[in-house]
Amino acid sequence: MSVSKSKGTNLLRRSEKRSLRRFLALYIILVTMLLLLLGTFYYQSQEKLMFSNQRILLSNHANEEVQKLRRLHRDFPKRTEYPKDTDFRSAIYDIERVKIFSRLQNPNVNFDKEVYRVNNTIQFVKYLDDYYLGAKYLFIEIDENDEWYRNTMIEILTLGSIASVILAIFGLFFVNLFLRPMKNSITLLDNFIKDTTHELNTPISAILANVEMMDTEIMVDKNKRKLARINIAAKTVSHLYHDLTYLTLDHNRESKDQWIDLKQLMEDRVEYFAILAGAKKVNFELHLNYSTIFIDSIKIARVVDNLISNAIKYNKRSGLITITLEKDHFIIQDSGIGIESEQVGEMFERYTRFNSSEGGFGIGLNIVKSIIEEYELKIDVQSVLGEGTTIRVDFLKGTVDDT
Amino acid sequence: MIHKVVLITLLSLVVMAESTTVEAKQADSNQTEAKKQNLYELRCIPCHEHRPYSLERVYMLYLKTFSGETIFKASLKAFLKEPMEETSVMPDEWIDNFSVKSKTILTDDELDEVINIYWDLYDVRNKLH
Repeated sequence: MSVSKSKGTNLLRRSEKRSLRRFLALYIILVTMLLLLLGTFYYQSQEKLMFSNQRILLSNHANEEVQKLRRLHRDFPKRTEYPKDTDFRSAIYDIERVKIFSRLQNPNVNFDKEVYRVNNTIQFVKYLDDYYLGAKYLFIEIDENDEWYRNTMIEILTLGSIASVILAIFGLFFVNLFLRPMKNSITLLDNFIKDTTHELNTPISAILANVEMMDTEIMVDKNKRKLARINIAAKTVSHLYHDLTYLTLDHNRESKDQWIDLKQLMEDRVEYFAILAGAKKVNFELHLNYSTIFIDSIKIARVVDNLISNAIKYNKRSGLITITLEKDHFIIQDSGIGIESEQVGEMFERYTRFNSSEGGFGIGLNIVKSIIEEYELKIDVQSVLGEGTTIRVDFLKGTVDDT
Repeated sequence: MIHKVVLITLLSLVVMAESTTVEAKQADSNQTEAKKQNLYELRCIPCHEHRPYSLERVYMLYLKTFSGETIFKASLKAFLKEPMEETSVMPDEWIDNFSVKSKTILTDDELDEVINIYWDLYDVRNKLH
Protein backbone atom coordinates (compact mmCIF):
# COMPACT_ATOMS: atom_id res chain seq x y z
CA MET A 1 0.00 0.00 0.00
CA SER A 2 1.31 3.36 -0.94
CA VAL A 3 -0.04 6.21 1.04
CA SER A 4 0.28 9.74 -0.17
CA LYS A 5 0.70 11.65 2.99
CA SER A 6 2.65 14.85 3.16
CA LYS A 7 1.58 16.27 6.41
CA GLY A 8 4.48 18.48 7.33
CA THR A 9 5.39 19.70 10.72
CA ASN A 10 3.40 22.76 11.76
CA LEU A 11 5.14 25.87 10.60
CA LEU A 12 3.70 28.01 13.36
CA ARG A 13 4.37 27.42 17.01
CA ARG A 14 1.68 27.71 19.65
CA SER A 15 2.78 31.18 20.80
CA GLU A 16 2.80 32.36 17.20
CA LYS A 17 -0.66 30.91 16.65
CA ARG A 18 -1.82 32.69 19.79
CA SER A 19 -0.46 36.00 18.49
CA LEU A 20 -2.11 35.34 15.16
CA ARG A 21 -5.45 34.56 16.82
CA ARG A 22 -5.24 37.77 18.86
CA PHE A 23 -4.42 39.79 15.79
CA LEU A 24 -7.33 38.23 13.89
CA ALA A 25 -9.72 38.80 16.82
CA LEU A 26 -8.64 42.44 17.05
CA TYR A 27 -8.96 42.88 13.31
CA ILE A 28 -12.43 41.29 13.20
CA ILE A 29 -13.62 43.42 16.15
CA LEU A 30 -12.29 46.62 14.56
CA VAL A 31 -13.73 45.78 11.14
CA THR A 32 -17.12 44.86 12.66
CA MET A 33 -17.20 48.09 14.66
CA LEU A 34 -16.23 50.10 11.58
CA LEU A 35 -18.96 48.46 9.49
CA LEU A 36 -21.56 48.94 12.23
CA LEU A 37 -20.56 52.58 12.58
CA LEU A 38 -20.76 53.16 8.83
CA GLY A 39 -24.09 51.32 8.69
CA THR A 40 -25.46 53.48 11.52
CA PHE A 41 -24.29 56.70 9.84
CA TYR A 42 -25.81 55.64 6.53
CA TYR A 43 -29.10 54.69 8.21
CA GLN A 44 -29.24 58.04 10.03
CA SER A 45 -28.51 59.97 6.84
CA GLN A 46 -31.28 58.07 5.00
CA GLU A 47 -33.67 58.75 7.88
CA LYS A 48 -32.82 62.46 7.76
CA LEU A 49 -33.40 62.45 4.02
CA MET A 50 -36.81 60.83 4.52
CA PHE A 51 -37.66 63.37 7.25
CA SER A 52 -36.69 66.31 5.07
CA ASN A 53 -38.93 64.90 2.29
CA GLN A 54 -41.83 64.45 4.72
CA ARG A 55 -41.28 67.79 6.47
CA ILE A 56 -42.72 69.78 3.54
CA LEU A 57 -45.87 67.66 3.49
CA LEU A 58 -46.26 67.76 7.28
CA SER A 59 -45.65 71.50 7.37
CA ASN A 60 -48.43 72.01 4.81
CA HIS A 61 -50.78 69.87 6.91
CA ALA A 62 -49.83 71.92 9.99
CA ASN A 63 -50.55 75.24 8.27
CA GLU A 64 -53.89 73.91 7.11
CA GLU A 65 -54.68 72.78 10.67
CA VAL A 66 -53.69 76.16 12.13
CA GLN A 67 -56.29 77.87 9.94
CA LYS A 68 -58.94 75.44 11.14
CA LEU A 69 -57.93 76.04 14.76
CA ARG A 70 -58.09 79.79 14.21
CA ARG A 71 -61.65 79.49 12.92
CA LEU A 72 -62.60 77.12 15.71
CA HIS A 73 -61.15 79.53 18.30
CA ARG A 74 -63.14 82.36 16.79
CA ASP A 75 -66.39 80.38 16.75
CA PHE A 76 -65.89 78.69 20.10
CA PRO A 77 -68.07 77.61 21.94
CA LYS A 78 -70.72 77.69 19.23
CA ARG A 79 -68.60 75.16 17.37
CA THR A 80 -66.80 72.65 19.55
CA GLU A 81 -65.88 69.88 17.15
CA TYR A 82 -62.12 69.47 16.79
CA PRO A 83 -60.97 69.42 13.12
CA LYS A 84 -60.81 66.00 11.45
CA ASP A 85 -58.80 65.07 8.36
CA THR A 86 -58.43 61.80 6.47
CA ASP A 87 -54.76 62.40 5.51
CA PHE A 88 -53.38 63.08 8.97
CA ARG A 89 -54.18 63.22 12.69
CA SER A 90 -53.41 66.09 15.01
CA ALA A 91 -53.19 67.11 18.67
CA ILE A 92 -52.80 70.37 20.56
CA TYR A 93 -50.89 70.98 23.81
CA ASP A 94 -50.67 74.17 25.85
CA ILE A 95 -47.52 76.05 26.85
CA GLU A 96 -47.24 73.92 29.98
CA ARG A 97 -47.26 70.81 27.74
CA VAL A 98 -50.66 69.77 29.02
CA LYS A 99 -52.86 68.06 26.44
CA ILE A 100 -55.83 70.12 25.25
CA PHE A 101 -57.13 67.68 22.66
CA SER A 102 -55.66 64.79 20.67
CA ARG A 103 -56.61 62.56 17.75
CA LEU A 104 -53.12 61.00 17.59
CA GLN A 105 -52.64 57.26 17.26
CA ASN A 106 -49.49 57.40 19.42
CA PRO A 107 -50.01 59.57 22.48
CA ASN A 108 -46.28 59.64 23.39
CA VAL A 109 -45.35 62.93 21.78
CA ASN A 110 -41.87 64.45 21.77
CA PHE A 111 -41.74 68.21 22.31
CA ASP A 112 -38.02 68.51 21.58
CA LYS A 113 -37.83 67.08 18.05
CA GLU A 114 -39.40 68.66 15.03
CA VAL A 115 -39.90 65.41 13.09
CA TYR A 116 -39.53 61.89 14.45
CA ARG A 117 -40.70 58.32 14.00
CA VAL A 118 -42.80 56.52 16.59
CA ASN A 119 -44.51 53.13 16.21
CA ASN A 120 -44.88 53.15 12.42
CA THR A 121 -45.98 56.78 12.35
CA ILE A 122 -44.20 60.07 11.73
CA GLN A 123 -44.98 62.97 14.03
CA PHE A 124 -44.26 66.61 13.39
CA VAL A 125 -44.55 69.47 15.87
CA LYS A 126 -45.27 73.09 15.03
CA TYR A 127 -44.90 75.87 17.58
CA LEU A 128 -47.82 78.30 17.30
CA ASP A 129 -47.41 82.05 17.68
CA ASP A 130 -51.09 82.66 18.43
CA TYR A 131 -52.33 80.20 21.01
CA TYR A 132 -55.67 79.27 19.41
CA LEU A 133 -57.71 77.34 22.01
CA GLY A 134 -54.67 77.79 24.24
CA ALA A 135 -52.51 75.63 21.94
CA LYS A 136 -48.79 76.32 21.89
CA TYR A 137 -47.81 72.98 20.32
CA LEU A 138 -49.58 71.49 17.32
CA PHE A 139 -48.68 67.85 16.53
CA ILE A 140 -49.35 66.38 13.10
CA GLU A 141 -49.16 62.59 12.68
CA ILE A 142 -49.13 60.53 9.48
CA ASP A 143 -48.66 56.80 8.85
CA GLU A 144 -45.10 55.88 7.98
CA ASN A 145 -44.35 54.52 4.54
CA ASP A 146 -41.65 51.99 5.39
CA GLU A 147 -40.38 51.58 1.83
CA TRP A 148 -37.40 53.80 2.59
CA TYR A 149 -36.59 51.56 5.59
CA ARG A 150 -36.65 48.37 3.50
CA ASN A 151 -34.53 49.98 0.77
CA THR A 152 -32.04 51.33 3.31
CA MET A 153 -31.66 47.95 5.06
CA ILE A 154 -31.15 46.19 1.71
CA GLU A 155 -28.52 48.77 0.76
CA ILE A 156 -26.77 48.46 4.14
CA LEU A 157 -26.71 44.65 3.92
CA THR A 158 -25.49 44.66 0.32
CA LEU A 159 -22.82 47.30 0.83
CA GLY A 160 -21.87 45.74 4.19
CA SER A 161 -21.36 42.34 2.56
CA ILE A 162 -19.23 43.83 -0.22
CA ALA A 163 -17.21 45.81 2.33
CA SER A 164 -16.79 42.67 4.48
CA VAL A 165 -15.38 40.75 1.51
CA ILE A 166 -13.01 43.59 0.62
CA LEU A 167 -11.89 43.96 4.24
CA ALA A 168 -11.45 40.18 4.52
CA ILE A 169 -9.09 40.34 1.52
CA PHE A 170 -7.24 43.17 3.24
CA GLY A 171 -7.21 41.05 6.42
CA LEU A 172 -5.57 38.14 4.62
CA PHE A 173 -3.03 40.54 3.19
CA PHE A 174 -2.32 41.95 6.66
CA VAL A 175 -2.07 38.45 8.17
CA ASN A 176 0.50 37.50 5.56
CA LEU A 177 2.33 40.72 6.27
CA PHE A 178 2.12 40.02 9.99
CA LEU A 179 3.38 36.44 9.62
CA ARG A 180 6.10 37.13 7.09
CA PRO A 181 8.86 37.87 9.66
CA MET A 182 8.02 34.66 11.55
CA LYS A 183 7.86 32.60 8.38
CA ASN A 184 11.11 34.11 7.19
CA SER A 185 12.94 33.25 10.39
CA ILE A 186 11.64 29.66 10.36
CA THR A 187 12.39 29.27 6.66
CA LEU A 188 15.89 30.62 7.27
CA LEU A 189 16.45 28.04 10.00
CA ASP A 190 15.02 25.26 7.84
CA ASN A 191 17.23 26.24 4.92
CA PHE A 192 20.28 26.36 7.16
CA ILE A 193 19.53 22.89 8.50
CA LYS A 194 18.83 21.61 4.99
CA ASP A 195 22.10 22.96 3.65
CA THR A 196 24.23 21.68 6.51
CA THR A 197 22.51 18.28 6.55
CA HIS A 198 23.95 17.42 3.13
CA GLU A 199 27.43 18.02 4.43
CA LEU A 200 27.00 15.73 7.47
CA ASN A 201 26.17 12.41 5.85
CA THR A 202 29.47 11.42 4.28
CA PRO A 203 31.78 12.14 7.25
CA ILE A 204 29.41 10.52 9.77
CA SER A 205 29.02 7.40 7.67
CA ALA A 206 32.79 7.21 7.24
CA ILE A 207 33.40 7.59 10.99
CA LEU A 208 30.81 4.98 11.95
CA ALA A 209 31.97 2.49 9.29
CA ASN A 210 35.59 2.84 10.38
CA VAL A 211 34.71 2.55 14.07
CA GLU A 212 32.83 -0.67 13.32
CA MET A 213 35.75 -2.07 11.34
CA MET A 214 38.40 -1.34 13.95
CA ASP A 215 39.79 -4.40 15.66
CA THR A 216 39.26 -3.72 19.35
CA GLU A 217 40.89 -7.01 20.35
CA ILE A 218 44.37 -5.58 20.07
CA MET A 219 43.56 -2.22 21.66
CA VAL A 220 44.52 -1.22 25.12
CA ASP A 221 41.62 -0.35 27.42
CA LYS A 222 42.38 3.36 27.31
CA ASN A 223 42.05 3.40 23.52
CA LYS A 224 38.92 1.23 23.68
CA ARG A 225 37.26 3.85 25.88
CA LYS A 226 38.33 6.59 23.49
CA LEU A 227 36.90 4.60 20.57
CA ALA A 228 33.63 4.05 22.46
CA ARG A 229 33.35 7.80 23.00
CA ILE A 230 33.99 8.41 19.29
CA ASN A 231 31.28 5.84 18.52
CA ILE A 232 28.79 7.53 20.88
CA ALA A 233 29.50 10.96 19.48
CA ALA A 234 29.18 9.72 15.91
CA LYS A 235 25.91 7.94 16.65
CA THR A 236 24.51 11.05 18.35
CA VAL A 237 25.35 13.09 15.28
CA SER A 238 23.99 10.30 13.07
CA HIS A 239 20.72 10.33 14.99
CA LEU A 240 20.50 14.08 14.60
CA TYR A 241 21.33 13.73 10.92
CA HIS A 242 18.45 11.31 10.42
CA ASP A 243 16.03 13.64 12.19
CA LEU A 244 17.16 16.59 10.14
CA THR A 245 17.01 14.62 6.91
CA TYR A 246 13.52 13.46 7.76
CA LEU A 247 12.42 16.95 8.68
CA THR A 248 13.83 18.77 5.68
CA LEU A 249 13.71 16.15 2.94
CA ASP A 250 11.92 12.91 3.76
CA HIS A 251 8.69 13.93 5.43
CA ASN A 252 7.20 15.20 2.20
CA ARG A 253 7.98 12.10 0.23
CA GLU A 254 5.37 9.47 -0.50
CA SER A 255 5.05 6.89 2.31
CA LYS A 256 5.98 3.30 1.50
CA ASP A 257 3.99 1.38 4.09
CA GLN A 258 4.75 -2.25 4.85
CA TRP A 259 4.30 -4.66 7.73
CA ILE A 260 7.01 -3.94 10.28
CA ASP A 261 8.01 -6.40 12.99
CA LEU A 262 8.03 -4.03 15.95
CA LYS A 263 9.71 -6.49 18.33
CA GLN A 264 12.64 -6.83 15.92
CA LEU A 265 12.75 -3.07 15.39
CA MET A 266 12.78 -2.39 19.13
CA GLU A 267 15.59 -4.85 19.72
CA ASP A 268 17.66 -3.37 16.87
CA ARG A 269 17.20 0.19 18.11
CA VAL A 270 17.94 -0.71 21.72
CA GLU A 271 21.15 -2.39 20.54
CA TYR A 272 22.00 0.66 18.45
CA PHE A 273 21.50 3.00 21.43
CA ALA A 274 23.11 0.62 23.94
CA ILE A 275 26.47 2.32 23.72
CA LEU A 276 24.87 5.76 24.32
CA ALA A 277 22.91 4.39 27.26
CA GLY A 278 26.02 2.70 28.57
CA ALA A 279 27.86 6.02 28.69
CA LYS A 280 25.28 7.22 31.28
CA LYS A 281 25.07 3.78 32.86
CA VAL A 282 21.39 3.64 31.89
CA ASN A 283 19.97 0.12 31.73
CA PHE A 284 17.18 -1.21 29.55
CA GLU A 285 14.41 -3.48 30.75
CA LEU A 286 12.55 -5.02 27.85
CA HIS A 287 9.14 -6.70 27.90
CA LEU A 288 8.62 -7.28 24.22
CA ASN A 289 5.82 -9.35 22.73
CA TYR A 290 5.29 -9.98 19.05
CA SER A 291 3.58 -7.10 17.27
CA THR A 292 3.47 -5.78 13.75
CA ILE A 293 2.31 -2.51 12.28
CA PHE A 294 1.61 -1.42 8.70
CA ILE A 295 3.71 1.69 8.40
CA ASP A 296 6.59 3.33 6.56
CA SER A 297 9.81 1.78 7.95
CA ILE A 298 11.73 5.08 8.06
CA LYS A 299 8.90 6.83 9.88
CA ILE A 300 8.37 4.20 12.59
CA ALA A 301 12.15 4.09 13.05
CA ARG A 302 12.14 7.86 13.64
CA VAL A 303 9.38 7.47 16.24
CA VAL A 304 11.14 4.69 18.15
CA ASP A 305 14.60 6.30 17.84
CA ASN A 306 13.46 9.64 19.10
CA LEU A 307 11.55 8.22 22.04
CA ILE A 308 14.47 5.98 23.10
CA SER A 309 17.00 8.76 22.45
CA ASN A 310 15.03 11.16 24.64
CA ALA A 311 14.63 8.52 27.33
CA ILE A 312 18.42 8.19 27.44
CA LYS A 313 19.16 11.89 27.05
CA TYR A 314 16.86 13.04 29.84
CA ASN A 315 17.50 10.09 32.15
CA LYS A 316 19.42 10.18 35.40
CA ARG A 317 22.82 8.61 35.62
CA SER A 318 22.41 4.86 36.34
CA GLY A 319 18.76 5.25 35.45
CA LEU A 320 16.40 2.70 33.90
CA ILE A 321 14.43 2.58 30.69
CA THR A 322 11.56 0.11 30.55
CA ILE A 323 10.18 -0.74 27.14
CA THR A 324 6.96 -2.73 26.94
CA LEU A 325 5.56 -3.93 23.63
CA GLU A 326 2.10 -5.41 23.36
CA LYS A 327 0.07 -6.32 20.31
CA ASP A 328 -1.65 -2.93 20.07
CA HIS A 329 0.66 -0.56 21.91
CA PHE A 330 4.13 0.08 23.26
CA ILE A 331 5.31 1.99 26.32
CA ILE A 332 8.68 3.64 26.87
CA GLN A 333 9.22 4.61 30.47
CA ASP A 334 12.28 6.36 31.87
CA SER A 335 13.40 7.24 35.37
CA GLY A 336 14.63 10.63 34.27
CA ILE A 337 14.17 14.26 35.13
CA GLY A 338 10.58 14.49 33.89
CA ILE A 339 8.76 17.74 33.15
CA GLU A 340 5.87 19.61 34.68
CA SER A 341 2.45 18.41 33.53
CA GLU A 342 1.61 21.89 32.13
CA GLN A 343 4.56 21.63 29.77
CA VAL A 344 3.52 18.29 28.27
CA GLY A 345 1.54 19.97 25.48
CA GLU A 346 4.49 22.12 24.51
CA MET A 347 7.05 19.31 24.33
CA PHE A 348 5.88 18.35 20.83
CA GLU A 349 6.43 21.82 19.45
CA ARG A 350 9.22 22.35 17.03
CA TYR A 351 12.45 23.88 18.38
CA THR A 352 11.23 23.44 21.96
CA ARG A 353 13.73 22.22 24.50
CA PHE A 354 13.26 22.05 28.24
CA ASN A 355 16.84 21.33 29.17
CA SER A 356 19.54 23.38 27.51
CA SER A 357 22.28 21.25 29.03
CA GLU A 358 21.43 18.50 26.56
CA GLY A 359 22.24 18.82 22.87
CA GLY A 360 19.76 18.87 20.01
CA PHE A 361 17.51 21.21 18.09
CA GLY A 362 14.24 20.32 19.76
CA ILE A 363 12.87 18.67 16.63
CA GLY A 364 12.71 14.99 17.66
CA LEU A 365 9.32 14.97 19.36
CA ASN A 366 7.92 17.28 16.72
CA ILE A 367 8.78 14.62 14.15
CA VAL A 368 7.17 11.96 16.38
CA LYS A 369 4.01 14.06 16.60
CA SER A 370 3.80 14.57 12.84
CA ILE A 371 4.15 10.81 12.18
CA ILE A 372 1.67 9.95 14.94
CA GLU A 373 -0.84 12.36 13.41
CA GLU A 374 -0.20 11.09 9.91
CA TYR A 375 -0.97 7.49 10.89
CA GLU A 376 -3.69 8.48 13.36
CA LEU A 377 -1.95 6.75 16.22
CA LYS A 378 -2.61 7.80 19.77
CA ILE A 379 0.15 9.10 22.00
CA ASP A 380 -0.18 9.65 25.73
CA VAL A 381 2.48 11.32 27.85
CA GLN A 382 2.59 11.10 31.63
CA SER A 383 5.43 12.98 33.29
CA VAL A 384 6.30 13.77 36.87
CA LEU A 385 9.03 16.30 37.54
CA GLY A 386 12.03 14.52 39.09
CA GLU A 387 10.52 11.07 38.69
CA GLY A 388 10.42 10.38 34.97
CA THR A 389 8.29 10.21 31.89
CA THR A 390 6.08 7.47 30.46
CA ILE A 391 5.08 7.60 26.81
CA ARG A 392 2.47 5.21 25.48
CA VAL A 393 1.71 4.84 21.79
CA ASP A 394 -1.48 3.01 20.79
CA PHE A 395 -1.93 1.67 17.28
CA LEU A 396 -5.13 2.34 15.45
CA LYS A 397 -7.40 -0.65 15.02
CA GLY A 398 -6.53 -2.22 11.69
CA THR A 399 -2.95 -1.11 11.82
CA VAL A 400 -2.06 -4.22 13.77
CA ASP A 401 -1.65 -7.37 11.67
CA ASP A 402 -4.38 -9.68 12.88
CA THR A 403 -3.72 -12.40 10.33
CA MET B 1 -81.99 40.07 77.31
CA ILE B 2 -82.12 43.58 78.80
CA HIS B 3 -78.45 44.02 77.99
CA LYS B 4 -79.11 43.19 74.33
CA VAL B 5 -81.95 45.71 74.06
CA VAL B 6 -79.77 48.43 75.59
CA LEU B 7 -76.93 47.61 73.23
CA ILE B 8 -79.17 47.72 70.12
CA THR B 9 -80.67 51.05 71.26
CA LEU B 10 -77.21 52.56 71.78
CA LEU B 11 -76.02 51.35 68.35
CA SER B 12 -79.10 52.86 66.67
CA LEU B 13 -78.40 56.18 68.36
CA VAL B 14 -74.79 56.16 67.18
CA VAL B 15 -75.82 55.39 63.55
CA MET B 16 -78.38 58.19 63.60
CA ALA B 17 -75.89 60.66 64.98
CA GLU B 18 -73.37 59.68 62.26
CA SER B 19 -75.86 60.13 59.40
CA THR B 20 -76.83 63.51 60.79
CA THR B 21 -73.16 64.61 60.75
CA VAL B 22 -72.71 63.50 57.07
CA GLU B 23 -75.83 65.37 56.03
CA ALA B 24 -74.63 68.48 57.87
CA LYS B 25 -71.23 68.28 56.09
CA GLN B 26 -72.95 67.91 52.71
CA ALA B 27 -75.08 70.96 53.44
CA ASP B 28 -71.97 72.96 54.41
CA SER B 29 -70.24 71.99 51.19
CA ASN B 30 -73.23 73.01 49.08
CA GLN B 31 -73.36 76.27 50.91
CA THR B 32 -69.66 76.91 50.24
CA GLU B 33 -70.11 76.10 46.52
CA ALA B 34 -73.04 78.43 46.37
CA LYS B 35 -70.99 81.05 48.13
CA LYS B 36 -68.18 80.70 45.61
CA GLN B 37 -70.57 80.84 42.71
CA ASN B 38 -72.14 83.85 44.32
CA LEU B 39 -68.79 85.52 44.69
CA TYR B 40 -68.10 85.12 40.95
CA GLU B 41 -71.66 86.13 40.09
CA LEU B 42 -71.62 88.99 42.56
CA ARG B 43 -68.25 90.45 41.72
CA CYS B 44 -67.69 89.67 38.06
CA ILE B 45 -70.90 89.17 36.14
CA PRO B 46 -72.72 92.41 37.13
CA CYS B 47 -70.08 94.63 35.50
CA HIS B 48 -69.33 92.47 32.47
CA GLU B 49 -72.88 91.62 31.46
CA HIS B 50 -73.38 95.14 30.12
CA ARG B 51 -70.10 95.23 28.22
CA PRO B 52 -69.79 94.37 24.51
CA TYR B 53 -67.03 91.92 25.40
CA SER B 54 -68.55 89.02 27.30
CA LEU B 55 -66.59 87.17 29.97
CA GLU B 56 -66.37 84.28 27.53
CA ARG B 57 -64.66 86.43 24.90
CA VAL B 58 -62.29 87.80 27.51
CA TYR B 59 -61.50 84.21 28.50
CA MET B 60 -60.72 83.28 24.87
CA LEU B 61 -58.53 86.37 24.58
CA TYR B 62 -56.60 85.39 27.70
CA LEU B 63 -56.35 81.81 26.50
CA LYS B 64 -54.99 82.92 23.11
CA THR B 65 -52.46 85.14 24.86
CA PHE B 66 -51.25 82.94 27.75
CA SER B 67 -52.09 79.34 26.70
CA GLY B 68 -51.44 77.40 29.95
CA GLU B 69 -53.64 77.25 33.05
CA THR B 70 -51.01 78.41 35.54
CA ILE B 71 -49.82 81.38 33.52
CA PHE B 72 -53.44 82.23 32.60
CA LYS B 73 -54.51 82.42 36.22
CA ALA B 74 -51.36 84.22 37.39
CA SER B 75 -51.60 86.85 34.65
CA LEU B 76 -55.29 87.45 35.26
CA LYS B 77 -54.76 87.79 39.00
CA ALA B 78 -51.88 90.20 38.50
CA PHE B 79 -53.97 92.31 36.14
CA LEU B 80 -57.01 92.40 38.44
CA LYS B 81 -54.81 93.51 41.33
CA GLU B 82 -52.99 96.14 39.29
CA PRO B 83 -54.87 96.92 36.05
CA MET B 84 -52.79 98.79 33.48
CA GLU B 85 -53.23 99.59 29.83
CA GLU B 86 -49.88 97.96 29.07
CA THR B 87 -50.82 94.68 30.67
CA SER B 88 -54.35 94.48 29.36
CA VAL B 89 -55.12 91.93 26.65
CA MET B 90 -58.19 93.84 25.48
CA PRO B 91 -58.17 95.53 22.05
CA ASP B 92 -57.06 99.18 21.98
CA GLU B 93 -60.49 100.37 20.76
CA TRP B 94 -62.10 98.72 23.72
CA ILE B 95 -59.75 100.42 26.15
CA ASP B 96 -60.23 103.76 24.36
CA ASN B 97 -63.99 103.43 24.79
CA PHE B 98 -64.24 101.92 28.23
CA SER B 99 -60.81 102.60 29.74
CA VAL B 100 -59.00 100.12 31.97
CA LYS B 101 -61.00 98.62 34.79
CA SER B 102 -60.54 99.78 38.34
CA LYS B 103 -58.47 97.89 40.91
CA THR B 104 -60.20 94.89 42.50
CA ILE B 105 -61.38 95.02 46.06
CA LEU B 106 -61.26 91.28 46.49
CA THR B 107 -58.69 89.65 48.72
CA ASP B 108 -56.06 87.27 47.33
CA ASP B 109 -58.03 84.22 48.40
CA GLU B 110 -61.22 85.56 46.95
CA LEU B 111 -59.43 86.37 43.70
CA ASP B 112 -58.08 82.81 43.51
CA GLU B 113 -61.57 81.47 44.07
CA VAL B 114 -63.25 83.54 41.37
CA ILE B 115 -60.42 82.90 38.86
CA ASN B 116 -60.68 79.14 39.46
CA ILE B 117 -64.42 79.31 38.90
CA TYR B 118 -63.85 81.37 35.77
CA TRP B 119 -61.24 78.90 34.41
CA ASP B 120 -63.43 75.85 35.07
CA LEU B 121 -66.47 77.52 33.59
CA TYR B 122 -64.98 78.13 30.17
CA ASP B 123 -62.27 75.42 30.04
CA VAL B 124 -62.05 74.32 26.38
CA ARG B 125 -60.74 70.85 27.32
CA ASN B 126 -64.13 69.86 28.61
CA LYS B 127 -65.95 71.17 25.58
CA LEU B 128 -63.93 69.94 22.60
CA HIS B 129 -64.94 66.65 21.06
